[in-house]
Amino acid sequence: MLSRRSVLKGAAIGIAGVAGLTACSGEDTAASAGGPKELVIGILAEPPSWHPAQTHVGHLLQPYQLAYDSLLLRQPDGTLKPMLATEWKYTDDAKTTLQLKLRTDVTFSDGEKFDASVVKANLENFKKANGKQVAMLENFASAEVGDASTITIKLAKADPAFEYYLSQAAGLMGSPKAITGTDIATTPVGSGPYTMVKAESVKGSQYVFTKREGYWNTSLQKWDKITLKLLIDVTARVNAIVTNQIDATLLDPNTRSQAEAAGLTLLQWPVDWNGLLLFDRGGKVCPALADVRVRQAINYAIDRESLVKNVAGGQATVTSQVFGPASGSSVEGLDKLYTFDQAKAKSLLAAAGYANGFDITIPMTPGDDVTSNYIKQMLGDVGIRVAITAVPAADYQGTIGKGTYAMARFNLFQGPTWVACNQLIVPKTLYNPFQSTNDVIAPLLEATRGAGDQVGEKGKAVNQYVTENAWFAPFYRANQLYFYNAKKLKVTEQVQMAVPSIYNYEPVA
Amino acid sequence: MLTFIGKRLASGVVALVVVACLTFVLLFTTSGNIARNIMGDQASEESVAAKAHELGLDRPLLARLGSWLWDAVHLQFGKSYFSEQQVVSAMVSRLPLTLSMVFVAIVLTALIATLLGVTAAVKRGVVDRVVQVMAVLGASIPGFIIGIVLVLVFAINLRWFPAVSKIGPTSKPSVWVASLTLPVIALVLNGIASATQQIRSAFIKQLELDYVRTLRSRGIPEREVLFRHVLRAAAPAGLTVLSLHFIGLLGGVVIIETLFALPGLGRLAVDATTQSDLPLVMGVVIYTVAIVVVVNLFVDIANGWLNPKVRVS
Amino acid sequence: MTQTLEITDIPVGQTGTVKRASVIGRLLRNPMGLAAVAVLLLIVVCALFAGWLAPFDPTRATNTVLSSPNGTHLLGTDSTGRDILSRLLYGSRGTLLSAVIAAVVAIGIGLPAGLVAGYYGRWFDNLSSWATNILMALPTMIVLLAVRAAVGPNVYVTMVVFGVMVSPGFFRLVRTATQSVRGELYVDAARVAGLSDVRIIGRHILGVVRAPVIIQAAMVCGIAISFQSALEFLGLGDPTAATWGVMVNDGFRTIFRAPLTLLWPSAAISLTIGGFVLFANALRDALEDQVKTKEKRKAAQPKTVSTAPVPDVAAVPATEHLLEVRDLRIQYPQPGGGRTTVVDGVSWFVDRDEVLGIVGESGSGKSQSVFAVLGLLPDNAIVANGQIIFDGVSTVDASTSRIDQSALAALRGRRISYIPQEPMSNLDPSFTIGSQLVRPMTRLLGISKAEGEKRALDLLASVGIKDPRRTYSSYPHQVSGGMAQRVLIAGAISCEPDVIIADEPTSALDVTVQAEVLDVIRDLQTELHQGIILVTHNFGVVADICDRVAVMQNGRIVEQGDVRTILRNPSHEYTQMLLESMLVGKKPLTRLMSDSATGGMK
Repeated sequence: MLSRRSVLKGAAIGIAGVAGLTACSGEDTAASAGGPKELVIGILAEPPSWHPAQTHVGHLLQPYQLAYDSLLLRQPDGTLKPMLATEWKYTDDAKTTLQLKLRTDVTFSDGEKFDASVVKANLENFKKANGKQVAMLENFASAEVGDASTITIKLAKADPAFEYYLSQAAGLMGSPKAITGTDIATTPVGSGPYTMVKAESVKGSQYVFTKREGYWNTSLQKWDKITLKLLIDVTARVNAIVTNQIDATLLDPNTRSQAEAAGLTLLQWPVDWNGLLLFDRGGKVCPALADVRVRQAINYAIDRESLVKNVAGGQATVTSQVFGPASGSSVEGLDKLYTFDQAKAKSLLAAAGYANGFDITIPMTPGDDVTSNYIKQMLGDVGIRVAITAVPAADYQGTIGKGTYAMARFNLFQGPTWVACNQLIVPKTLYNPFQSTNDVIAPLLEATRGAGDQVGEKGKAVNQYVTENAWFAPFYRANQLYFYNAKKLKVTEQVQMAVPSIYNYEPVA
Repeated sequence: MLTFIGKRLASGVVALVVVACLTFVLLFTTSGNIARNIMGDQASEESVAAKAHELGLDRPLLARLGSWLWDAVHLQFGKSYFSEQQVVSAMVSRLPLTLSMVFVAIVLTALIATLLGVTAAVKRGVVDRVVQVMAVLGASIPGFIIGIVLVLVFAINLRWFPAVSKIGPTSKPSVWVASLTLPVIALVLNGIASATQQIRSAFIKQLELDYVRTLRSRGIPEREVLFRHVLRAAAPAGLTVLSLHFIGLLGGVVIIETLFALPGLGRLAVDATTQSDLPLVMGVVIYTVAIVVVVNLFVDIANGWLNPKVRVS
Repeated sequence: MTQTLEITDIPVGQTGTVKRASVIGRLLRNPMGLAAVAVLLLIVVCALFAGWLAPFDPTRATNTVLSSPNGTHLLGTDSTGRDILSRLLYGSRGTLLSAVIAAVVAIGIGLPAGLVAGYYGRWFDNLSSWATNILMALPTMIVLLAVRAAVGPNVYVTMVVFGVMVSPGFFRLVRTATQSVRGELYVDAARVAGLSDVRIIGRHILGVVRAPVIIQAAMVCGIAISFQSALEFLGLGDPTAATWGVMVNDGFRTIFRAPLTLLWPSAAISLTIGGFVLFANALRDALEDQVKTKEKRKAAQPKTVSTAPVPDVAAVPATEHLLEVRDLRIQYPQPGGGRTTVVDGVSWFVDRDEVLGIVGESGSGKSQSVFAVLGLLPDNAIVANGQIIFDGVSTVDASTSRIDQSALAALRGRRISYIPQEPMSNLDPSFTIGSQLVRPMTRLLGISKAEGEKRALDLLASVGIKDPRRTYSSYPHQVSGGMAQRVLIAGAISCEPDVIIADEPTSALDVTVQAEVLDVIRDLQTELHQGIILVTHNFGVVADICDRVAVMQNGRIVEQGDVRTILRNPSHEYTQMLLESMLVGKKPLTRLMSDSATGGMK
């Protein structure tokens, strides 16, 4: 319920906003930056809570960037630059002690000052809050405040992805006073370039942010007003962008032509890989999968080219490895390791003793029935009889985690090397439900963990192993299809992120 | 009259409680994977278990039902599993949109259906046939198809209306009108057919009664017979038709809001269902049934007032 | 004077049989019904023979994605390259299955519950009515969503729940029908005869209930399909199944690339639902008891022939009577074509200060002829012939032989009025008696409401009501039958008409009240000098109050004349038969009758 005061305040802002709008529309004859710069982005998912400890990745990182700064800033190409932290380095060879130097001129939107104790409070809170990305701070042991601008983080084990995490969810800094309260869940309180206009923001509909006065980095503050409009359905998004109700949004191969016909500009970059995860390398649920030849046969049975054409509308690159090019661990020849070769698949199956094929069940959620049908078809053509079970989206991850299925199809994002290892290969992760491990892969993983800057190189060995042993059956790396109105803005992609960082949207002069 | 209202109210409350319990028991069986769903794929099993405990998902059924009922009596409906939003505020923030759509739709339906139904009943012949054909068409084409056609033609092609809702908390009435026109049309078109048919039938039933002929024999002009007497007599049946229609509309908004990306109660129902967000689903069910109980109460009162046997007793 | 027909005349009178065509015949003759049956049969055929008819495997994914209709794929392919036509054909199974499950569950719950509740009543009735009210208060879609949240995508569960949600419709339908039949006398008779309840229900009640249940079932099938496809459209269905709803969802996602993929399943769904709806409508029409067949404008020649002489309709002869009916013929069109004649060449008249009785059995056409005078015949009645002249004004338009409603509108209430037969059903239950009396007066006489009220109270007193004020403010349900009849009489005379038509005004009353009401009528005439036409089947009433009488049989007047003469000396055998059958035990006229047994006609 809106209190009277907030209604009045909202009305005041609303009137100002309307006046601003009308002023804008009346002044478009002005040559240079006349009138306020306003951006409307169509988003697919809304933050369940604005508490920085609840931040997620990709789509659910972008909104938080409006209100919160992170310790490190990740550039569009993935390099890390200073943000709230000016310098950082590991002070020991084991790479378990990270010392950061912090800015001193940053204040939060509620007036609180940013300093080392704030960093400590946020990190500890993040771990305690048990949010979706709590695993980022799995190895976080403690934070020691040196002086107001120095903090030393101790890790339990070396974590090559830790600095990356400090540019993501774990590195977001909220006001120390607010993060212990409950209001921050509905209204973000950060040190970021924008503040939320409560009166115009409605959960389930839209969030409106305006430029924050006194922000320490005006070069990152490119807009006067940004509205995030929640449009879960892709058809709603394309309808909205072709009628100019929104300026930028993510579409898909089915809606792409509509957007192009309306004259919108396409920005595409690969983020996810689409393919099968052959979980059951121990053969518990499906004995056949224990044999590496069977798993390889599955890889050979897939016609990746036609999947690229039919499912991804041509906007994808065929691949056989799960590590992406940006991670540094992708290996040249491995992309084309498994060609489409039904004869080879059948002979491998026969050699493994499955000349007559075998049965296997895979889960499917509404929305990926297209790919599932092709999988069923292609595997069926070499004798593997696939049964498909529909699983509600809400149960999908839980069911996978319980080890119900021997294999499943996923669209997963290809992050930096150690993130990928943590996501797919280490025994404890959700996507390794049978906790597959052995004497070969375990040491390779350890070596990668301790590799420091060499994590990309060391990761290649892991990549080689899992690809040659067909732990997975990747199909392709799909491109994100991001459309925007080039008359109004320019957008740059963010590597390994599903949507661009909010800093990558620039108004056109 | 007062006892009449009292009794109706009491039975409404009982209905609400029964529905709440049944729904809760029904949804309880799915809470197995909720914690994992909330925590996401990166969380460890321990943190998932911790979350499950935090939400009370590991307690026995009756205990949870009991606490839910106790809280509900105090108008505390809990918090969504997935967001930080209180169920009550989620409902309240979405009610105005949905209710305004539904009420406008029902008023329009009442007016048009009465007009067409009465005309068809009285004139018979060509008008009757046309109304019947319309009714068949309207009943045959599912609401979501009508909605899709409306969006494609009027929003995308002709650009007369916005394709997605523009309504915000500070929007002017004109924005509400622009954004809600197509959805309301879709809602009305879908149900007007059967409402017209039923009003027509009710009207014909009345026309066949003896007193109509006697009124005519008294020299009362036809228009007065129809609108002062027959319409009045057919009103209870008509109100019943419309109240049932209202209940149907509360279901119909689910599709329409999804199609037009309107942040209303129907949309919330779909999203909450997809995610198995138990508190929100309960909230939607309770609020919807409560609205129905209230509306039915008003209809019953109106019917009671219209019926002299009830009014004077 | 007696006016009789020659005995050798064949009494043609009412001709034409009322044809009642079989239900199926009527259904199929209706173009909508025929179309509906054809569509539904088509769907059933598709479902049964999908295996033979489908050119491709509906789950076979190919590389030709989203192709438009061509030689190989008649309706094109969908987003996985599957043949749309094959998917439509197989999908019809899912569609029909949904409909059937829903209908079976709904009937399975609603029918027995309705039967038991309607027949036995008491606690089961209360319980089931309460449960029904709760079910009806739940928006079905919301419930289905909740079930879906609990159980996941399962068509069977969804449709079973849907069936439960719509069962109240059947319950109420069956319960009402059962209650009404239960109250019929023949059911009591059956019980007395020792038939078990099960037999009674099976034999009598199911027969009545059968048709409305089938109609409702057809509607439910249509709605079930609509709901199921809506759920699938929202993405809440089972995506592995090849159902039409899933196809719509798929088509919606690719709507911009290939709009036709959305068209085919949408059309299939609409067509099927339409088929069910049309079927229900046509069946309802075919069962309607009062099939009001209206003849088309360019009417065919009437097929039935009357031997009575047809007077020259062009001339409007003058008359010295207040109200005269000449050679009136009323016909009704039949569903299969042709007409029945209900009134054949009837002539009578009435003057001031006299009471004309029109006597006859039920169905003799007596009420029809007076309704013609009032212009209150049903819409589809045809005045094939004749004249009705009131005070020199003809109320039948000679050229079109239709009742002249504009002329009659000016006469009704003001110059000709009507006292109906059944008092309680002829008063508008929503208005007070007072307002129903006053309104015509203020309208027709142009007096003020206050004046009208005064007159109304006087009228109520004059018809013998003890407490006029109380009756004035009462509603019809608060007064007795006798009082209501008096009120109706008061209403009929309120605007001081010249002719009053009383249609069996005492038939619905007790004998003592009958006598009082007749007194009232007689006294009024003494005061106001109207001409009264009294339609009745009761010769006792005729003897009591009428001056002249016309006897009707089969749409014709067989004898007409002065009361005393007719009653003492009936010339027509029908009159004799009527009198004989009525006068058992009554003293005076019997003696007269026995005289004529030897003399007279035979």
